[in-house]
Amino acid sequence: MSNKKVTLAHGAGGKQTAELIESVFKHHFANPEFTPDDAAVLNVGTGKIAMSTDGFIVSPYKFNGGNIGKLSICGTVNDLSCMGAKPLYMTCSFILEEGFDFDELEEIVAAMEKTANEVGVRIVAGDTKVAGKGQVDKVFITTTGIGSLTEGFSTSGAFAKPGDAILVTGDVGRHGCTILLAREDLGIEADIKSDCAPLWHTVESMINTTKDIHVIRDATRGGVGTVLYEIAAESNVGIRLNSQDIPVDPAVKGVCGMLGLDPLYLANEGTMVVIAPKEQAQALLNTLKQGKYTKNAAIIGEITDEMVGKVMMTTEIGSQTLLPQPGGELLPRIC
Amino acid sequence: MCVGLAAKVVGLKDGMALVDASGAKREVSAELLEDVEPGDYVMVHAGIAIAKITSDDEEETDGLLGLLG
Amino acid sequence: MSEIMQRTREIIESYNGPKLRIMEVCGTHTHEIFRLGIRNILPENIELISGPGCPVCVTPVDFIDEAVYLALERNALICTFGDLIRVPGTKKSLADARSEGATIKIVYTALDAIKVAQENPDREVVFLSVGFETTTPAVCLAIKNAKKLGIKNFSVLTANKTMPAAYQALKLSADAFLYPGHVNAITGVKVCEDLAEQGVSGVVAGFTAKELLTAIAVIVENAKKGKPYFVNCYPRVVKEQGNPSAVKVMEEVIEPCDSIWRGLGVIPNSGLKIREEYKEYDVRVKLDMPLIQGKPNPACRCGDVLQGKCKPCDCKVFGKVCTPLHPVGACMVSNEGACSAYYQYGRKD
Repeated sequence: MSNKKVTLAHGAGGKQTAELIESVFKHHFANPEFTPDDAAVLNVGTGKIAMSTDGFIVSPYKFNGGNIGKLSICGTVNDLSCMGAKPLYMTCSFILEEGFDFDELEEIVAAMEKTANEVGVRIVAGDTKVAGKGQVDKVFITTTGIGSLTEGFSTSGAFAKPGDAILVTGDVGRHGCTILLAREDLGIEADIKSDCAPLWHTVESMINTTKDIHVIRDATRGGVGTVLYEIAAESNVGIRLNSQDIPVDPAVKGVCGMLGLDPLYLANEGTMVVIAPKEQAQALLNTLKQGKYTKNAAIIGEITDEMVGKVMMTTEIGSQTLLPQPGGELLPRIC
Repeated sequence: MCVGLAAKVVGLKDGMALVDASGAKREVSAELLEDVEPGDYVMVHAGIAIAKITSDDEEETDGLLGLLG
Repeated sequence: MSEIMQRTREIIESYNGPKLRIMEVCGTHTHEIFRLGIRNILPENIELISGPGCPVCVTPVDFIDEAVYLALERNALICTFGDLIRVPGTKKSLADARSEGATIKIVYTALDAIKVAQENPDREVVFLSVGFETTTPAVCLAIKNAKKLGIKNFSVLTANKTMPAAYQALKLSADAFLYPGHVNAITGVKVCEDLAEQGVSGVVAGFTAKELLTAIAVIVENAKKGKPYFVNCYPRVVKEQGNPSAVKVMEEVIEPCDSIWRGLGVIPNSGLKIREEYKEYDVRVKLDMPLIQGKPNPACRCGDVLQGKCKPCDCKVFGKVCTPLHPVGACMVSNEGACSAYYQYGRKD
């Protein structure tokens, strides 16, 4: 372990900046397209491309199951994947707090390298700024990515149709729960790992199963509940879930029980909502069950033409109730 | 008013109990219960064990419905 | 669906007697009843009324103003349950105070506030103590521990309440009470038995689907007999005597006082204050706080809602000006509040 820290000079554009790029970024991101010039010049073929950007400010920046580096790749990769776009190139922009540990930065960048390699996406340009102590919380990363769209395949939040089945690609709420336990000093311990994962290969395997998929959406901030309300509004449909079918890790359930929270509103970073015609649902589920990150996938409900714009829930007593609308900050409920 | 959680006592030390609710563990005060032992189920609220749980809800409600005849 | 659920549903759904108004006293019951969709299976002649058992909802606006004052004017480090963060005060909520630089920390238990005090010896750490008999023993234990450990920078802002006087105040609002199981786990069932003798019926209920359905089925069956009744429908947790150790620690640290309930006004002997022997932990005494009187928003009908006098949707601001994101009254803030539950679960009647 070196004790080397990031200083303001590392962001000043001079010798130290070059040293940072050389020793950390180039070392991990080396590929033919990684540019020392002002912009990367890329060959993206002739078809349509998808493009997305996302900022990451997670605190703590290291958590069980990943760190902000892995997260920053997964976030943009998954956004592209939801459109059926194969992620090709990414850029990343770092804002570092003065005094941040070089070794920690190295670890974050190494996680980015590993995750990007797994997907086959290339990091082609980057930027680093150093902000004075206290001006940012250790490390912020913004990633932007482009991907090439799969021909004959298109998804949108507006494409859900009555009769479609709703799947989740994994158990819900693990990332949010992991961060909550790490961030808030609640004294609760649980062996819960963030679901943070790059899902391009998952989406690819679904497309290979059938191109007849209407919606794929990454259930990040706000969780599955929020995403379902978005889709209900965008597609002008109703949604009915079966509460018993929603996969939740028992420990996440335990934590939520202690704090009065609903796992449907906790963030995921490697779980998507997939909506497809009912006839395709079982085949998609079978495919997902064989995936590396999606063994806990499940069919959780269906699209209806009743209660447009709402998410209904069939409860454990067999009655119907509305899923509460997503609200602001998640606060533990005790008393 | 009072979110309660049924949890299993898995450890005891100096009036504190380590409780486990399907994998979520927390230390809570066991000072207000007598004769708590590891393996017991307790009702936890706001960081203290407020009661021992003597059966599951199936057995309990079954008994109550039996009384209704 | 299990056999028990099926059987209880049959009993409930086949009720055809006179109108039966059941008041669920506990906010967590309100929450679970909505989550399980229980109202949606009730026949027309059974009505569930959400009572005053959400501590956040019955805590007067003055309390929030006091907490905001401590956080902003006295630089206190506030420890609180998450429930209170967004409750509006006269001008500001704790969330507003936090955005102005106040230190507001969410804790799971009063006992953790002691640890916060130990870690921040240069700050006055104030725990915001709301709650009923279930929640109060923890704060009493915390105060006792602080005294034992000689911690000088810890104190408590109390708004704790007790239920018995409230039952008296509300007994005409319903035909039967669904008593709050976890309160009875502490206090035992004598208060309910006494009420039955005075002609006020009710059952203690647990919180699972089976327990709630069973409790309502027991009410339905007893209502048919036409005599006042009390049944403990949560015997696996609620014992005859309750939890005597918890009662003892409460009696040692705190004593009854009159208390203001949002919407219900002052109910004599329904509040709790810290006893003389522990007064150095009463932040109002310790920091010689001025009397702070808040002004609730006059359009808000939380008070009537809490007494079952009106439904949330009868309030003019409900769902329009007052929503979970921009609550006007406390009943919209707490997930347990009747207004929040009505809004979230889309009920219009």
